[in-house]
Amino acid sequence: MRAESALEELSRRAPKQWELYQKVGESHELIASGGQRRSAWRRETGQAARWWEDGGMRFACGSSAEDLTRAISSAQSIRVSPSPTPQWPQSRTIGVRSAAAADPPSDFFDELARQLSAESRGEAQLAELTLRRGSAVERIENGCGLAVAQAVESFDGVALAIGRRGSRSCEARAVFRWEGEPDIAAVARRLADRAVLPLSERSTPLARGECLLDPSVAAALLAAIAPLFTADRGPRWLSRPHFGSERVTIADDAGADAPFDGEGTPTRRVILVQSGEAVSSLRDLSSAVRSRDRSTGHGVRPSYRLPPRVSPRRLFFETTEGAPPRDLLASVRRGLFASALTAPARVDIEQDHFELEFTGIAIVAGRAQSPVSGARARGRLSQLLRRIGAVATDRQFFPMPYPTGAPTLLIERADFD
Amino acid sequence: MDLDVSRLANWMESLSKGPEDLAEIFLEHRRAATLEWRDGEVVTGRAACENGLSARCRTRDADHLVFVSDASEAGAREAIRSLQIRMGRPALPRKPDRPKPQSESEPPLDVDRWTRKLTSIFSRLAPRHRFRWTLSDVTRQVVPVRGAPSSSTRRLLSLEGTFTAASRRGDEIRAFSFHAPGSETTADELRAALARAGEPRETPASLPDGQADVVLAGGCAAVFFHEILSHALEAGQESPFSGLEQARVAVPELDVRDDATRLDLFGGYEQDDEGVRPRPVKLLDAGRLAGLLTDRAHAPRGVSNGHGRRAGPSDLPMPRGSNIVVAPGHATEDELARRVSSGIWIADLDGGSVELASGQFRVRFPRARRVRRGRLADECGPGWLAGEILPALKSIEAAVGREVYSYRALGFCARSGQVVPVQGAAPAILVRRLAIRSLQRSLGSVPALESGA
Repeated sequence: MRAESALEELSRRAPKQWELYQKVGESHELIASGGQRRSAWRRETGQAARWWEDGGMRFACGSSAEDLTRAISSAQSIRVSPSPTPQWPQSRTIGVRSAAAADPPSDFFDELARQLSAESRGEAQLAELTLRRGSAVERIENGCGLAVAQAVESFDGVALAIGRRGSRSCEARAVFRWEGEPDIAAVARRLADRAVLPLSERSTPLARGECLLDPSVAAALLAAIAPLFTADRGPRWLSRPHFGSERVTIADDAGADAPFDGEGTPTRRVILVQSGEAVSSLRDLSSAVRSRDRSTGHGVRPSYRLPPRVSPRRLFFETTEGAPPRDLLASVRRGLFASALTAPARVDIEQDHFELEFTGIAIVAGRAQSPVSGARARGRLSQLLRRIGAVATDRQFFPMPYPTGAPTLLIERADFD
Repeated sequence: MDLDVSRLANWMESLSKGPEDLAEIFLEHRRAATLEWRDGEVVTGRAACENGLSARCRTRDADHLVFVSDASEAGAREAIRSLQIRMGRPALPRKPDRPKPQSESEPPLDVDRWTRKLTSIFSRLAPRHRFRWTLSDVTRQVVPVRGAPSSSTRRLLSLEGTFTAASRRGDEIRAFSFHAPGSETTADELRAALARAGEPRETPASLPDGQADVVLAGGCAAVFFHEILSHALEAGQESPFSGLEQARVAVPELDVRDDATRLDLFGGYEQDDEGVRPRPVKLLDAGRLAGLLTDRAHAPRGVSNGHGRRAGPSDLPMPRGSNIVVAPGHATEDELARRVSSGIWIADLDGGSVELASGQFRVRFPRARRVRRGRLADECGPGWLAGEILPALKSIEAAVGREVYSYRALGFCARSGQVVPVQGAAPAILVRRLAIRSLQRSLGSVPALESGA
């Protein structure tokens, strides 16, 4: 795995101003659909280098040490404008915990199909289930003496179901990530709602009311506003003391996933919003230089093919002072329960605007009334965040693609069409 | 990738038991350079050099793939051996690693020449910008257990991002994307496309939700047909066309084909990712459903029409579209505008999706122009066009434009996590009564770089 020639080349080209990332990963994928089974076993190695030469940042990657050396040679010929060099981390880990070999995932297709059918009273059928389990070892070195290694593991998947009622049909997709034992029942419930609720022919009966967001919808919203936590400067409308309602506390803490980020900075917990007040933001090495701050350990590599960039790693709503979800439901006088999104959450951070298209259930006096095939909530993002009236305790994590955790949220007032 | 292909085929013998079993080795060598530009300066330079190889075996009810990041003979041996063990077949014996032969030096990617050209184009046409430009050379080789090996190389260029353009009420940020295979004329074509995108425009007004007659002009009908025809006719999945083979679903004046042999378009290729030479497939022939896009696993009698595609060597192939090409008609654009009388004229679609179970689709337009009394009037948008596949096809008018335009803004399509290059060329078409949903202006300006099911 060592890339001695690349290391020599980097040290020569950019003394102390280089970083080398190496990854060896293994994953098993099982794609099940009806009687068909497709499986893939992948053993991927990748290496990436980032360095500042003549003041400009360059990045190269390859699938082997030889490929990386060639890529470095190509990248060095690109004329790049100067940019400030980062303040490199200097940790050093002793010994390396190697990743346990990933086992192929078990085939849960039949069990999920059965539970989905039961949850949907036979109206939804599982069409395809993809499960992926993987492990990888990452090593990061830099010109200032950093040498760290870490093992990471993942188990995630996506399920596709078709809901049918009479001549109407609807496709539903649920992306999930399991950190412990597989929670098939939760995936079945989400899929059933997504596949069956849109089959109702009723559109929203309300133009305005309260809005209860399912954890999956709230997580999508949280992921959509995440750029607020990584931007160098907030948008003009953002008032840091009044970011959201007092009930909102948002944090990022990937300590359970990996001890370092993709640049070798130690992982730490960062409180981003404390009781409605924006108190901090996330930084990688580059954004830390721009803001004259230190990295918070949020330099993320989506793949070895891309340079690290600032991103949340495990973003979530705190729920220590939350209420049981049934209390939130009981408190709704007249509103909608947004059970599942029917289109990606759309947020314009600069213009203070959001749009959520969802399927759900109408609620009157704390009781579910009738399914709503489709509704759209839209308005000002700043108002939405300030109108979070209650936070439940039923937090769940969803891959967005980083783990994003949200409980059921009660929005005190929203406009629907 | 100079491998002894007959030796690889021999190693795979034990994987393919019957004539219907498929077994192959797929190799990819990819070189790419990516430059990020900001206001005339290159702020980041990236280069990639990657090799990957996978061995695959498909039997009647299962498909297995093993991928390694090593496109050498040793990598092939490792992948085949792992596959044999997984499938319970006699495995190749282990052999000690031999030193890899020194690979030949390759011609440079031409980044310097392109950097100079682009600097000049940007400084004249769009001095304030944030663009990402990628140049990639991809060589793919397929070695089947039976039959001849194949190899092909494609050079592709993409430019995506935003730039500041003058509008009559001040500056505005516009999205721009351009995807083309590398050729002598690509720079001129890019220059023309950027000049068109930067023309002064009115500030668009918001659109009311409702239904409207819509002209899809400037080649953007390729996105519309990509969503409603190409995806729906990818073999192996349920769609509203299932059970309607040969049925008339649109006016007889409409001919649509998927043509991977059009190498002048971004989605073209000489061999598909299963080593099959593609042939143009008629999807709609005089308004009738005419064919499916197939790979080897989904082809009748195993005869694929060359649409087995993969995003990379670590992916299993699946039937995918390539270049959607709509045949010209006889109508002029003035005639189409007169026929609309009152409606919307759209020359740019920047994304879309389709849900095959219900047949519902939506495509997004960043801006449009109203047509009033048969004339182009004020600007409006952004918004979505939505509908169901079969009614939308039925609503296409017989008057089809006479000029066919390549639609360079369409470049990639994602399905099941696999992103492949696609493109299309189309004349203007008129579709009656499509649902329109307005979109907040700022939400419509985000470039959608992929379109897909």
